[in-house]
Amino acid sequence: MTQAEIKLCSLLLQEHFGEIVEKIGVHLIRTGSQPLRAIAHDTGTSLDQVKKALCVLIQHNLVIYQVHKRGVVEYEAQCSRVLRMLRYPRYIYTAKTLYSDTGELIVEELLLNGKMTMSAVVKKVADRLTETMEDGKTMDYAEVSNTFVRLADTHFVQRCPWVPATENSDPGPPPPAPILVISEKDMYLVPKLSLIGKGKRRRSSDEDAAGEPKAKRPKHSTDNKEPIPDDGIYWQANLDRFHQHFRDQAIVSAVANRMDQTSSEIVRTMLRMSEITTPSTAPFTQPLSSNEIFRSLPVGYNISKQVLDQYLTLLADDPLEFVGKSGDSGGGMYVINLHKALGSLATATLESVVQERFGSRCARIFRLVLQKKHLEQKQVEDFAMIPAKEAKDMLYKMLSGNFISLQEIPKTPDHAPSRTFYLYTVNILSAARMLLHRCYKSIANLIERRQFETKENKRLLEKSQRVEAIIASMQATGAEEAQLQEIEEMITAPERQQLETLKRNVNKLDASEIQVDETIFLLESYIESTMKRQ
Amino acid sequence: MASRGGGRGRGRGQLTFNMEAVGIGKGDALPPPTLQPSPLFPPLEFRPVPLPSGEEGEYVLALKQELRGAMRQLPYFIRPAVPKRDWRRLPRELKIRVRKLQKERTTILIPKRPPKNTEDKEETIQKLETLEKKEEEVTSEEDEEKEEEEEKEEEEEEEYDEEHEEETDYIMSYFDNGEDFGGDSDDNMDEAIY
Repeated sequence: MTQAEIKLCSLLLQEHFGEIVEKIGVHLIRTGSQPLRAIAHDTGTSLDQVKKALCVLIQHNLVIYQVHKRGVVEYEAQCSRVLRMLRYPRYIYTAKTLYSDTGELIVEELLLNGKMTMSAVVKKVADRLTETMEDGKTMDYAEVSNTFVRLADTHFVQRCPWVPATENSDPGPPPPAPILVISEKDMYLVPKLSLIGKGKRRRSSDEDAAGEPKAKRPKHSTDNKEPIPDDGIYWQANLDRFHQHFRDQAIVSAVANRMDQTSSEIVRTMLRMSEITTPSTAPFTQPLSSNEIFRSLPVGYNISKQVLDQYLTLLADDPLEFVGKSGDSGGGMYVINLHKALGSLATATLESVVQERFGSRCARIFRLVLQKKHLEQKQVEDFAMIPAKEAKDMLYKMLSGNFISLQEIPKTPDHAPSRTFYLYTVNILSAARMLLHRCYKSIANLIERRQFETKENKRLLEKSQRVEAIIASMQATGAEEAQLQEIEEMITAPERQQLETLKRNVNKLDASEIQVDETIFLLESYIESTMKRQ
Repeated sequence: MASRGGGRGRGRGQLTFNMEAVGIGKGDALPPPTLQPSPLFPPLEFRPVPLPSGEEGEYVLALKQELRGAMRQLPYFIRPAVPKRDWRRLPRELKIRVRKLQKERTTILIPKRPPKNTEDKEETIQKLETLEKKEEEVTSEEDEEKEEEEEKEEEEEEEYDEEHEEETDYIMSYFDNGEDFGGDSDDNMDEAIY
């Protein structure tokens, strides 16, 4: 784990879980697998606090445990999973676009709580939805359950590994930590629950939903009285499936930008057909025949078979090689080259970064070297049609930024410098890694700056919160305009200005974080896909 | 290879590769030597591209800020423990209630309480009171950190005021419905919280 990643993890943990969890989490990321006592001793925190922190981290799938010899349980943190916390808003928004508000809230609850049982999720989401509905209307549990089942069927949520139900033939002491198992076929199996009920509002002054006796209301939840039917079956959000969806989205929009709407629809259809059949890490999808694609096109699209074939041929001939032709049976067998597509996306990201950072002439040189693979100094000047001095300058700028590297090709076995070729080349994998590292540093800087800005104006923020609360309460009890006006004037005009500036800055910093995270996703997907192929 | 240092020392000024091959000819002006690390905020040559705006961007932004706030309220956010107080210096009656104080009490800073109290007087049904406690707990958790910094004398006064206003015979913790059980991040909790 690089320093930049550790720093970013530390900031994320601190923001979402507090300082104690942050201390323990960062310690585990730094030192690897450790038992409980060692953690407490090394970090200097009390055993209680360490236990609490570890429970929180395990609950959120950020730390896993393993039983080692002699019954010692060791805990290991998963740095990459911590970094996923940046992407939570994107997951939730995706769920909203696919399954509307119900899906959005289900995924949000699962992400906020790490693991939950289905009944707990359904109940909570129904309550939340009921809050937002008009008076008198409630959300039925059945509707929420249906959405949950659909999410499970499309693999967006999955079951967590569970404790195996074994009959203990040996009466030995129970193991210090349960060994959780998971089987592929049961991962998306929804338990048969009959959840009947409706969401409840928090204010009791109106209806008495579900006809429960009033005496039970003040208790925490009636579920404590009845046995929970799906006890022990916990669900979590399946981040890999979301990543697959993001990747598909990126490919489709790339095709749409490069060609036109119809070709992107064709590619989208092909990807949809391969969703379940192709594992997410495969280099290309299963071959699909042109006839199949024609049958699976969305209903509104009426292009003829011939036009479809023309489009497919165009796509296959495109130098970007998103789509490849793998055979001629069935009207032509076509695959989507996922690995190549990711590579193209990563390369485009690199090109864009070079252009924005160094200028368009540098970008021209960069693209040239990318295309020709290896070029000498003289050749660069000639092909790019840029004067020698400037070309040199730009090449060195990019070289020191590690976008371009030098490749030595010796002419003689003694590698004498005067008899060696020095060629400029772009190594996409290492440039992508460098850029990814830079992205981590950028987000850490953005978060720090945002925290700094908020801290600077803490007093002002608190004051404005108080004033808002006063105004809200006075409005609730029906105050007059003049009084409200007076209270509002408690915040002076320059202070208001300051608050506006603060809000604008914080929004900008937040939006930048989201933007950098998208770049991180592309680069990480490409690197992962490349590493899997080796 | 011709020695370039001019005789000062044999290896001095010699490079391991021929400079011409990478394009620096003899006699070309080299860039000035770097005598210090690059500045912390180097001047930007090109302005950055504007951030994407639009409905999706705004929605995701709002989601992000909401999530940040929401996670602070959940029981998973462990706050650093309250420092040990010296009980010899304080009246003994404060000891039991200090725990509840921090979780349930809202301070006078949030004037939501006075209107709510008047409502309580009107409606004497216990269920409604506890439900309002639930709401207050939600708002009071936001102010937990502020409360911990405040002096105890203030909290003392409020507590007495509340009791007299409520006109009940029970202390406030009687109405606690255990909702904030998971939220306690207090000292000396022996069990792990899931």
